Amino acid sequence: MSANGVAPDGPLLEITDLRVDFRQGGRITRAVDHLSYVVPRARTIGLIGESGCGKTVSSRAIISLLPASARVTGSIRFEGQELLGLSERKMRAVRGNQIAMVFQDPARSLNPTVRIGLQITEAIHLHSDVSKAEAHDRAVELMELVRLPAAAERFRNYPHQLSGGMRQRVMIAIALAGEPKLLIADEATTALDVTTQAQIMELLRDLQERLGMALIMISHDLGLAASFADEVMVMYAGRGVERAPTRKLFEHVRMPYTRALLDAIPRLENPPHASLTAVPGQPPDLASEQVGCPFSPRCPNVTAKCREHAPPFEEQEPDHRWACWHPCGLEKAPA
Amino acid sequence: MAVPPTETAVPGMLDPAALGPSSAPTTAGGRFSRLRAIGGIWVPAFLVAAILFLCFLWPLIGPVPSPTGGSILNSNLPSFSPGHLLGTDATGNDEWSRLLYGGRASLEISMAVTAIGLIVGGLLGAFAGYVGGWRESVIMRVLDVLIAFPALVLAVAIAERLGPGEVHTIWALSFFSVPALARIARAATLRVREQNYIVAAGLSGSGHGRTLLRHIVPNILPELMTFALLGMGIVIVLEGALSFLGLGIQPPNPSWGNMIASGQGLLSAQPKFVLLPSAALFITVVCFNLLGESLRERWSAQ
Amino acid sequence: MLRFLGRRILVAIPVLWGVTFLTFIVVNHLPGNAAQQLLGINATPQEIHQLSVRLGLEKPLLTRYGNWLHDLVTGSLGHSLASGQSVTSILGQTLPVTFELVAFSLLIAVVVAVPVALLSARRPGGIFDRVAMVLSMAGLSIANYVLALILVYFFAVRLNWLPALGWVPPDHGFGNNIKYLILPAVSIALSLLCFYTRQLRADLIQQLHGEDYVTTARAKGASSWRVLTHHALRNSVFGLITALALNFGTLLGVTVIIEEIFGLPGIGHELLSAINSRDIPVVEGAVFVFGLMVILANLIADLLYAALDPRVKYGSATD
Repeated sequence: MSANGVAPDGPLLEITDLRVDFRQGGRITRAVDHLSYVVPRARTIGLIGESGCGKTVSSRAIISLLPASARVTGSIRFEGQELLGLSERKMRAVRGNQIAMVFQDPARSLNPTVRIGLQITEAIHLHSDVSKAEAHDRAVELMELVRLPAAAERFRNYPHQLSGGMRQRVMIAIALAGEPKLLIADEATTALDVTTQAQIMELLRDLQERLGMALIMISHDLGLAASFADEVMVMYAGRGVERAPTRKLFEHVRMPYTRALLDAIPRLENPPHASLTAVPGQPPDLASEQVGCPFSPRCPNVTAKCREHAPPFEEQEPDHRWACWHPCGLEKAPA
Repeated sequence: MAVPPTETAVPGMLDPAALGPSSAPTTAGGRFSRLRAIGGIWVPAFLVAAILFLCFLWPLIGPVPSPTGGSILNSNLPSFSPGHLLGTDATGNDEWSRLLYGGRASLEISMAVTAIGLIVGGLLGAFAGYVGGWRESVIMRVLDVLIAFPALVLAVAIAERLGPGEVHTIWALSFFSVPALARIARAATLRVREQNYIVAAGLSGSGHGRTLLRHIVPNILPELMTFALLGMGIVIVLEGALSFLGLGIQPPNPSWGNMIASGQGLLSAQPKFVLLPSAALFITVVCFNLLGESLRERWSAQ
Repeated sequence: MLRFLGRRILVAIPVLWGVTFLTFIVVNHLPGNAAQQLLGINATPQEIHQLSVRLGLEKPLLTRYGNWLHDLVTGSLGHSLASGQSVTSILGQTLPVTFELVAFSLLIAVVVAVPVALLSARRPGGIFDRVAMVLSMAGLSIANYVLALILVYFFAVRLNWLPALGWVPPDHGFGNNIKYLILPAVSIALSLLCFYTRQLRADLIQQLHGEDYVTTARAKGASSWRVLTHHALRNSVFGLITALALNFGTLLGVTVIIEEIFGLPGIGHELLSAINSRDIPVVEGAVFVFGLMVILANLIADLLYAALDPRVKYGSATD
């Protein structure tokens, strides 16, 4: 794939004004609304938000994995090339090869009737012209790379013979088979227990460093982002609401929603049996038209202005973007 | 994903597992589903009503001659002869009348068989599914045995023992419809029982078995009706097969099946004797199949 | 896997016994005196009584059943009243014919259904799919005896391409053997094939729309066709096997009428002629064998299922 006149240190992925609508029998649901962010090479972006905030949909839009009822507009540029509107054949050359994806539920994401080794070699064969033996060796290499114990023997295993953590490693191996420049991990550790979760995240970080891969880490867990992401993008109701390098975000949280997410993380310092602060209320129904800021029903800083005019998502401090009329820590709370 | 075989030893023809996921054509949107509703439900329903009218009511009020007792002098009249829209057969009987009366016989039998299946089989299956335990197992094993025999083989064997005639044919074919619908009723009851279990527990302590059956039956009825419609198609063809083999309705009384059989010899010379009852059979079966499939689609989409 | 199979066999045994019982009851206990029917209307009461005694019909029902069952278990099904030939040998001659017919029909049905279902599932709602669905609904609704007559009319009488009746055993020339089987097999296969097409297609579509491994495969860069054939089909095969097993009973049943129309010397035809000549032992034997074969077919389907589904074959996860 040629980089269309983009400097080598330019961003790997550039999403501008992405909008995804779903047409279901007459109703239109806006799953993603004017989303913009950038993924530099070899960096980790954490895409954080509640269920239904559009993080998964926007990521699947990147490699066009959405169902036929989806309408996607905006721009997604990968190494300078526009991905939206790419023919299916060209997109297939991107999927797995340039951009790969790891999904949430390894139990269901692997074909139960095919041996895992063959599911990996399939990914290899799809993007390179190698012999079966070479593919086999490469697959075993990949399995070792993802720290799957007894890789050579496990080649002939079926998915149900592996534990959840091992299956997820296989998924990662499949994703790496095409040597992608960008890996999207969609809630890759959500279905795993905490220990395995940490192991997999460590593995991803390690792989990312070694292979110089960019990583989009999708999660609802802000704490996870804190540990592993270089930059965090918080989404709500299909929109981006705050984005900053991780340290800056956590030191100077601006969006009340992000603040609420942070507060909701249980802290070791709190006294035992201290009540957890959950974010009150429910996320909005995306099928109805949104007027004003979507977070207004649940926001502690809300004013009439918030309900009428949706705040723009703009860079308000160096390298720190947010969409809020009354960000935390900058103004006095409204009377 | 993969569907394991049913837990009974012998799965049957009307098992939902056999019919697979309903063949809903697409996930396409609203425009087509209304069209398909019309095509899939109203058109076949109307046709069935028309056929029933023609076979049962029309001969009572319209100018339809008797299907039997025709005069040899009138034999083999061509179609569109005066007084005989479709001509007459080799013994002088009016073909149109034979078609209608034949349809009446076939439909009477099929509806009776399906009704017996629904009532006897439905209650039996619902009882089994509701009460569970050893009684359920015994009932299911007995039904298994019945289902193990191919429907036609069983029907042939029984019909032969009992002798020909409408009532005996109904008996013979009920050995197919009762177990088939009982299976469905039981599966549906198990499902409904899960859902309404909490409600049932809330109902006045030990609601009497029969009262609770009255709660379960209305819930399984839609599913039962759907499969009964699909079963109608099967039963009509089976009845045709029995009559074709000379075991069901006996000549000179017409049934679509025995009309096809007797038309065989004249197939080259006068294909209409085979084609007319075949077409009638085909249209009727298509309508029942369409109705059953459309309802299945509707109901599984919920 | 063995445990799975063992359980299935265990469940099948009481059913098998029930099959013997029901066979016997149906053939012997229903109204109508067998001896009388054998001898006809004009028989005198003495003749009827003599024949009854000779046939052992005077003994109580359970005793007769016990005897029959005992003979059955020791491998004897009695002898034909008409020809004296042992029932087992009659069945031995006629079963292979029916098997060949059934196998051929299944082959045709599956060979056509799979590609049609794949092409339909590829583009649901597309032209090919719509046409296939309409045609398959029509094909499902045609009675196989009607189809048989129409096929005979066109291909045998009018075009004279294929024979209308008769049978040539395989050892007399395989090509000839097939020639006599084509029309009967197609008569049976058509409605089967329509059924399998619809069922497989629905299953495939369900896989494609609902299963996560499909998304993974697409994310790898696999084409829709590859996803269909290499991934979805492997999982839909189970539904097809289930359908095949479930239909086997019906399939055997229709041989009764199809063999009759085409004059094939199979077990269905044998059953009918034994019924017509009141040859009770043959009827008993044939009816029993039908039930037996259905149970066996289902067991084989279970076996296939266990052999093909890795989850059954290799047991549970090693954590």
